[in-house]
Amino acid sequence: MGNSKLYKGSLNTIILKLLEEQGKMYGYEITQKVKELTKGELNITEGALYPALHKLEAEGLLDVEVAKVDNRLRKYYKLTEQGEKETVNRLAELEEFIRSMQNLVNPDWSIN
Amino acid sequence: MNKLTEDQIQELYKFTRAHFVYHFDLQTELVDHLANGIESLQAKNPHLSFQEALDKEFKKFGIFGFQDVIADRSKALSKKYWKIILRFYKEFFSLPKILLTLLLCVLLFIVLKETALGYQQYAITGVFLLFLIPATIKLVRYHRILKKKDRKWMLEEMLLANIGMINFIQIPIQLMNIRFEIENNYIILLLSIASITLLLLFYVMVFVIPPKAEELLEETYPEYKMMSTL
Repeated sequence: MGNSKLYKGSLNTIILKLLEEQGKMYGYEITQKVKELTKGELNITEGALYPALHKLEAEGLLDVEVAKVDNRLRKYYKLTEQGEKETVNRLAELEEFIRSMQNLVNPDWSIN
Repeated sequence: MNKLTEDQIQELYKFTRAHFVYHFDLQTELVDHLANGIESLQAKNPHLSFQEALDKEFKKFGIFGFQDVIADRSKALSKKYWKIILRFYKEFFSLPKILLTLLLCVLLFIVLKETALGYQQYAITGVFLLFLIPATIKLVRYHRILKKKDRKWMLEEMLLANIGMINFIQIPIQLMNIRFEIENNYIILLLSIASITLLLLFYVMVFVIPPKAEELLEETYPEYKMMSTL
């Protein structure tokens, strides 16, 4: 597993982005999807995922849906309208952050 | 892939209860998570027993187990609870109910103004008790209803149990010990407004929100409606 501290601040944005792409997802599916996309580099811990989901739900960014699947109830999360708008903002913020980091790590010393 | 049986799912519910998850909403989510994890472990390694797979899956939650998840869930829901309170509380400060709020403030102002100096604290205590006695009766009743239920929902407990209310009972007791001799009209007015604002907040918590609990729970938990019709 890579340095998970670096990812930690972006967990909410990662969740929002995934839900934007996939529509609705359940907790376990999110952990697996992230693992798959990052080729095992990022492993979202269960202890961090659910608190993040519950917080986003309380903020009104996510909505929940329940369905009965194989003998049990499954809770799906999806973006609310407000959540969709917020995803765009947060992704823009994250991209800005990545650009700033790149400038810091790899400064362009040339004189224009 | 081999799916878990109904009995094994019940076993997982028991497991979450044994690990201090008492609320059905959170239990359900964790049970599904553990079940998915166990199924995928068993798919990779068919010789792994249910118990072994469960232990492995639970370890992923870290040494504190479900504690973080429970604590944060309750934090997230109290945020939601305050939002609900605010939604109904705001009504008392917008038309038409604001007229009632103002009327109550004026009434309390007149009462305090007419009360002899040195006795104003009893007038305020009286007003608070007038509210507190029926409120306490209501809260005890809600508490009994909650106790009878097998399935506990975290938000339902917040909506009905109002733990914060216990502190409220101290207010009249504290007030009795202070001798009020206020002649200044502005201070009397301020005191009236402060008392009424506070009383209305608790009125909303005890008398307005609990009767709507069912509706608010359905709004929060899609599974609530599902479970009550099953």
